[in-house]
Order: sequence, then C-alpha cells, then structure tokens
Amino acid sequence: MKKKAVSALARAAVLLSVLSIGGVRAQSAVTLNFYSGGDVNVQDLWANNLIPMYKKVAPNVTINLVWSEHGAADQATFDRLAAAKKAGKVSGVDLWESGMVQQAGEAGMMAKIAASDVSNLSKVPPTIIQQVGSYGLPYRGSSVVLAYNSKEVSSPPRSLPELFDWIKKNPGKFTYNTPDTGGSGHAFVERVLMSGLPQDQIKTFQTEYKPEMVSAFDKGLATLKELDASMYQNGFHPKGNVGTLQLLAKGNIRMGTVWSDMALSYLAQNLLPPEIKLVQLEPPFSGGAAFLGVAADSPNKAQAMAFLNWLLTPEVQAVVINKMNGYPGVDWKYVPTETRTKFADIAKSYSIGFQERFGADINKLWYEKIAGTPMPASK
Amino acid sequence: MKNSWREALIGLCLAALPVAAMFVLVVLPAFEGLRFSLGYVPGDNPAYSTGSHLVTSSTPTLEVYRTLLSSPFVQADLRLTLTVTLFTVLLILLVGYSLALLVRFGPGRLGAAVRSLYLIPMFVPVVIAAYAFITLYGSRGWLDALLHHVGIGYRSPIYGIPGIVMGLVWSHLPFATLLLGSGLDALPEEQVEAARDSGAGFLSILWRIILPLNLTPTMIVAAFSGISVLGSYTVPALLGPNAPQMVGVAMEQYFGAYRQPQGAVALAMITFALAAAIGALYVWGISRTRRHG
Repeated sequence: MKKKAVSALARAAVLLSVLSIGGVRAQSAVTLNFYSGGDVNVQDLWANNLIPMYKKVAPNVTINLVWSEHGAADQATFDRLAAAKKAGKVSGVDLWESGMVQQAGEAGMMAKIAASDVSNLSKVPPTIIQQVGSYGLPYRGSSVVLAYNSKEVSSPPRSLPELFDWIKKNPGKFTYNTPDTGGSGHAFVERVLMSGLPQDQIKTFQTEYKPEMVSAFDKGLATLKELDASMYQNGFHPKGNVGTLQLLAKGNIRMGTVWSDMALSYLAQNLLPPEIKLVQLEPPFSGGAAFLGVAADSPNKAQAMAFLNWLLTPEVQAVVINKMNGYPGVDWKYVPTETRTKFADIAKSYSIGFQERFGADINKLWYEKIAGTPMPASK
Repeated sequence: MKNSWREALIGLCLAALPVAAMFVLVVLPAFEGLRFSLGYVPGDNPAYSTGSHLVTSSTPTLEVYRTLLSSPFVQADLRLTLTVTLFTVLLILLVGYSLALLVRFGPGRLGAAVRSLYLIPMFVPVVIAAYAFITLYGSRGWLDALLHHVGIGYRSPIYGIPGIVMGLVWSHLPFATLLLGSGLDALPEEQVEAARDSGAGFLSILWRIILPLNLTPTMIVAAFSGISVLGSYTVPALLGPNAPQMVGVAMEQYFGAYRQPQGAVALAMITFALAAAIGALYVWGISRTRRHG
C-alpha cells in the first residue's frame, strides 16, 4: 500500500458552495491526495466504486488516488512524509492507506483519529483502533479461516485442538504460508502462540508492546515445531497467501489457512475447485483491517476526516463487503441486514492479532525456531 | 597547453556530475548506514529510529554485529550464502565455458544454435524465470507429471539449495558466456592450429593454450558473477528453502518482516565486506596476470 508518483497539488479555487457531510462544513473545492496500494481488487474498489460515490455526496472534494501495486511504494511514501516533516514543508499526502500508518504516526507524521472528528468511529470495535494507536481508521477487514477439501475431509476440525489432531493424523496434508509473506500464515502462527499464553495477558499482546514479554511465546513455538514434522513435505511453507491457495488447488494439501475474501474470490473465479470449503474455528483465527490514516501535515484535515466518516456509513460498508467478499470496518451489527445475511457463514467477528511489533518479533522467532532449526524427522 | 588544460577541466566537470550524484545517493546513505550499525541512531530518520530492538550508543559499538554473528540462524544464512556463491560461480564457469567453446569450436550448426540460444535468459525477467522453474520442476509440476507417467519417482529440488543454484546459474549464463566467448574469439588462431598440427589433443590445447590465454575474462566472470550472486535477492526469495536464507533475502526480512533496520544495515555492511573481498581478489589476480603476461 503506497504509491509514489507526485500528484499536482491542485487545490485552490474558492467556490462558495456549502456542503455538509458528517457535520463538517467545507466551503471550498479541495483535492485530497490519497496514497494507497494493494492488489487490483482494492484499486478497483477505490477507483470505480468508492471515489465516484463520494463525488456524488461531496461534489467539491476531488480525490486524487495515487496507486501503488501491492503497496510496493509504502516505504517511499513514508520517506516522503519524513522528508517533508524534516524540511518543514507540506508533504502533499493527505490520506494514506498502509500497514505503516502506526509507524508513521509514532514518528509524528500521521494525525490521531478521534471520535470528535469522525463520529462513526464509535461503531468500530475499540481494540482494532488501539492496535494502530488510533493513527488509522479500519474501513474494511478480512478474517483468516480454515479451507479444506470436502471430497477428502468429511468433518473438518472446529477448534484448535481438533485441528492439531487432524494435522498429526494426516501427515503432509496441511500447511500454512511463511508468516511474513502473508497474513493467513501469520494468523495460524499467532493463533497457536496465543493458545500457549496465559489468557489474562492476551489483551496486552494485542494492544501494547513490551520486548521482554516475547519469552512467553516459547510454549506455542514448541507446539508449532512439533506440528511442523506433520506438515506438507515435512515442514515446507509456501510463500504468500496465494502459495497456500495454489497448493490447495493442485491437491498437494487438503487443508490450509486462507483469507476468507481471497478464497471466496478464488472460488468465484474457479481458481479453486468447488469442493474447497471454508470454516471458522472457535475461537476464531485473527483477522485484520486495512487502515487509512490522515497525514499530520495535511492542510485539508477536516475534509479528510469527513471522508473517513463517510466510509463508515452503512451503505458504503455494504459496498465494501460485497465488492471485496470481506469484512466491514465497523461492527457487523451496523451493516445492512441484507448484506449480513448474504455472508452469514463468515459474518462473525474475528479475533484480533498481536500488536504489530510483536508480529515482527514473531516473524523472526518463526524463522529462527521453526524454519531455521533442523528437525530430526526432516529430509 | 592552454587548450589541454581547458579540456581537462571540461572533462572533470563532466565527470563531477555523476560522481556527485553517486556521492549523494550511494556514499552518504552508506555512511549513515555504517554509523547506524555502530549504534548511532539518527533521530531525524524515522525509517531507522522507529525500528525494534535498536542498539543505541553515543560511542561506536559492535554490539549489533556481535548479536548478529553469534546467532546460529545468521551463521547458517552466511554459510548458505557462501556455499551457494561458490557452487554457482563454479557451475557458471563450467557451463559458460562449455557453451563458449561450442560456439567457437563446435560444428557449424550446433555452434550457431548455441550462439542464438544462450542469450535467451538475458531477455527473460528473473521473476518470470523463477516461476517457470517452479512450474516446470516443482512438486506436481510438468517434470513431475512426465516422470510419473513413466513410473519414476521425483522429489523436487526447487525448494532446496539446488533450486537457488539452478536459478542463479540460469540467469547469469548469458553474461558469462558472452564474455568468455569474446575472450575465445580473440585467441590467435595460429597458436591453436600449430598445436593441433603437432598432434595435441583438444584437452591439452584447452589446458595449455586456451585457459591460460583466456584468464582475464575468466576472472572477470568469476568476480562479477560472484558479487552478483552474493547479493542476489529475487531468485533466492522465490526458490530455495524457508531457512536458511541467502543474505539478500535475510536483509530484506530484517528490514521489513522483523522491523529491525539495524540488523538489516549491519548485514548489508557484512555483505559489502564480502563483496569487497571478492573485488580485492579480482584486482590482485588481474595485476598478477598483467605482470606475468
């Protein structure tokens, strides 16, 4: 999620029209430079759905989408914000959709988003916002679920212990992707680690960061290592969320963790055979939100916040869910009933992943303790 | 006299631009990186200062390097990198030489075919090539399916060290063959003819005439592909095992996945030192050849 291309800072023009969205009154035409990135489906959502929709509600706000495939320019946008801050100039970035909003926020480059600016924020589960230190607004989400081949597996596991049991009884038929290359693998790793933590500490791991707490993961890591011997090719992990989906499609594995939105889209495009079914465990795998932040130096903060508020309205959330086969940014109860019924199978909450810095530490621990430690039973 | 001064000045001015650009874009960041890896955390560079597990010190410290190098995980990465570099360079030389010899001395048609085929990898982006390797040699890939039909078992090498070496050899071959081939083209035909006339076999001609006379291109190929393989990213990121990893991949992981920019920068410095060592070997080799040649 990022982009780089420079966009013209065409703001100016004073139209004395009055518009009011979400209680904000803007008096002049403004252009919001919106830096975003992701896969083509996200680009399509913004360019062909949301931005044209917003033009109708707020005709004098122009949203200039600066797109970067797969967020490959995130670091460049970060550097641009940092350079502007250092030089005391305006970066030209108004809105930024990225996994890096918290990191940028901690460096003083993103504005905190409060319910006083974005009234619909109250509809968002607070822990999700705390996860990024209030520097980003979750406007859509997705959850990791278990995908299985219903021709080979008649009764899929419904809980973590059942899943462990299945993996051990069906060696070579399960895998997850490396945790740093895709959230579906990361969610499996975090779910297993979470199962080894004292229950009363889990919230701390989700919202705070204390480096010394990392040792609490040892129990979960031991479980992961033990499971690894029974995984696909004695512990080979594909790269990226797509890697797991491809192994499922080719029949190399019978079960794996996937993002619900990706799997549903793949099924719709016949990239996965119809016998692949999805199921959520109890307690659920973690999900994640896509976060949108407002640059601290944006001269158009009020308009940017108004745009964020509009994104959380029920009609917009319904479009997001339908387009992305995903989860809303707001709690499901604020989603129109029709949409909720359509996605009844997955319209449940997801659990929250660990705080981002723990996530980074977990990636490293995984490479050191799981992939990087030889296994007696391995090839 | 005046004119030559002016020409020199113009020349210097022209050269100053790229040198200045390199200084600003490469030397300065590298210097800041070196300082960062020694414990000076620049507060005004959030890409560095927001990292996890930073070592901060007001005097230079080797703490970052100590932690990195004492980790068995990083040691395994470095071992893998050196092994892959060594084997890849040897294979590149072996295969590159064979192809170049075929082009130079091979029978007409074969030589011509090789001449047009060996350049292909140069025009195929590495990412595409890596995915082609996976499709072709991967588990349940084409080769697997083919062998399965004739009843031969198959274990895909693609997600092991051989996978990385295969990908890297493939992508470096055109450059190596081109350079070795141009060296062979420059060989004096008479010497080879004379040796042949006095009854020398192909192998002894190769060993006694061709290889010694073609030493400089050989060293260039070895050094340049060595440095390029050492820091390669795309092929080992897509092929090869989950762990250990080549340093190029490890560096990116430290920076992105682990959020430890200091470790990434220190790994870059270590890689730079290794590449400099290869470069030094090359300069030493070249100067020796010059003296003896």
